[in-house]
Amino acid sequence: MRPVELVPLGSGRYRVTVDQSTFEITVEVLEDGRLRLTHDRGVSVLQVTDSDRKRFVRIGSADFVVERVDVARAGRARGSEDRLESPMPGVVTKVLVAEGDDVKKGQALLAVEAMKMEHLIRAPRDGRVAQLRARAGEMVNGGVPLVELQALESG
Amino acid sequence: MFQKVLIANRGEIACRIGGTLREMGIRAVAVCSEVDADALHVRLADEVHLLGPAEPRASYLNIEAILAAARASGAQAIHPGYGFLAENADFAAAVEGAGLVFLGPTPEQIRSMGDKRAARSIAERVGAPVVPGAEGDDPGALARAAAKTGYPMLLKAALGGGGKGMRVVHDEAELREAFEGTRRVALSGFGDASVYVEKRIERARHIEVQIAGDGQGRVTHLLERECTLQRRHQKVVEESPASNLDPALRQRILRAAVDVAREVRYRGVGTVEFLVARDQFYFLEMNTRLQVEHPVTELVTGIDLVRLQLEIAAEGRLPLGKEEVVPRGHAIEARVYAEDAAAQFLPQAGTASRVRWPRGAFLRVDAGIESGDAVPVHYDPILAKIVAFAPDRPLALARLARALDDALVHGVVTNLPFLRALVRAPEVERAGVDTEWIEREFLHAFAALAGAPAPELALVAAALTDGRSASRAARSGESETPRETAFHAAGPWRLPGLD
Repeated sequence: MRPVELVPLGSGRYRVTVDQSTFEITVEVLEDGRLRLTHDRGVSVLQVTDSDRKRFVRIGSADFVVERVDVARAGRARGSEDRLESPMPGVVTKVLVAEGDDVKKGQALLAVEAMKMEHLIRAPRDGRVAQLRARAGEMVNGGVPLVELQALESG
Repeated sequence: MFQKVLIANRGEIACRIGGTLREMGIRAVAVCSEVDADALHVRLADEVHLLGPAEPRASYLNIEAILAAARASGAQAIHPGYGFLAENADFAAAVEGAGLVFLGPTPEQIRSMGDKRAARSIAERVGAPVVPGAEGDDPGALARAAAKTGYPMLLKAALGGGGKGMRVVHDEAELREAFEGTRRVALSGFGDASVYVEKRIERARHIEVQIAGDGQGRVTHLLERECTLQRRHQKVVEESPASNLDPALRQRILRAAVDVAREVRYRGVGTVEFLVARDQFYFLEMNTRLQVEHPVTELVTGIDLVRLQLEIAAEGRLPLGKEEVVPRGHAIEARVYAEDAAAQFLPQAGTASRVRWPRGAFLRVDAGIESGDAVPVHYDPILAKIVAFAPDRPLALARLARALDDALVHGVVTNLPFLRALVRAPEVERAGVDTEWIEREFLHAFAALAGAPAPELALVAAALTDGRSASRAARSGESETPRETAFHAAGPWRLPGLD
């Protein structure tokens, strides 16, 4: 994760802090919607396209896809591996477990298929299926939570 | 000639076929699934018929619905494109049974070339070399055959395809060990427990020959294509002619392809595929359809292969002169897919909100989407093919690199960064690759490139657009968020798929 801070200084100027460095830029929005950024190393023209949490950024002939991170959500997922998300947009083709089932690490829980490719979602550790948010045949987007796993009480 | 033709496909190939139909004054009938009702191939057609829900089985593989659309529209012929029903003998038979013309070979030709055993024996009959191997149910006999040709060998289902259950074995012990498992996969996957063992051809190139036949025994070739740049047996970049191919070997390959097609009195256009290693070549299979990569052949021969298909079907003869086709210049194609090369090439879907295909002299783009079009999850992720043409290979490659740089697809992640790096690899520039080179060597190099952090300005621009929408909202009174705090709230950002 790379936090970005922008402080407007007026008339299109900003103070930018990113990767522990701080510099100033001037931003102009061109007629075709592209951004012209003037900075101490020169001028760059960029095209930015919004798509949900993603931003597609074109600089010259290079493309970058950056994604806005929901800090609270990222923290939860990192903390407990309890929420398994759809790896890509697709169709849920198989649901191999039911709510309340105990599952073993590595066990296949469901299958998502897109463009002739099947992707199995497996349990990252032993646990119990607390909540199942997918039905077979259902279409899902990428990054959508499909299964909530609950830790089994030890002992 | 036909007055009306139905295109039983979608995406770039349906658009490309429609283009030739319009040039010939033939009305183009599109078919579509429910999710494709606004797709480009529908917008370009003269008439459209809905097939059914998105799932291919209910739409583009639904033979009944396609025949009903053909009847309702009054189309006289059906072009199957590639994929879907293009190599389905039952479909070809059903089309002919309905009194329509199938723009492809006969059902029997599709059937015999689709059966690996039958295809191999046709090749053997005309003296085209096949990969040395043996079929059987007795591991001892297979081991004896393997000892004769030499390890490593490939063990696979006799009727299998697509690498399913395929194992590389290095000696007799490994062969005996893998035998039972392969038998099981063969029986469950293909309904026949027969196992086939064949020599593993290492460091091979993929060379294929475009052929055309009149259905009565006259067959001509339209040069070779090289499709050695593959990832997991999927072609990525294709070109014509092949480079650094010994002229005598090339002639033998072209002749073998023509002989195979003539043996079955092939009708229409097709492709005979070979593996080439050093001075040896081996028959792989014959594809009884228009190939994805057909544009490179069209550019170096000047022949429109879809027009050729229509003329063969309508006139029952090959509308080509007797003289051998000679290549004019060099053409190279790259396939643009909706897949994330930085994340195990996972297929992507969504809305391609901003699309700009490259333009310029000596460029051809066969695309299935424009800005704002949906990329549905249900179908093959190919979005477009970008093809460059030049008097020689280095210039064609340079033009392709430029064209890939100019291409822009935002809203759906594509393999464009992968293609841009690939066409600039020194091994590709000097044509020193084999069919496994991408996976063996190039993917590591690309991972390092894809894993490099985005430049600071990319993050700044992304954060700025957040601020812009927040400030628009503030101006319109929807939100009390002052500009300053909106900007402070922007970020953090990351490159998806890499952590």
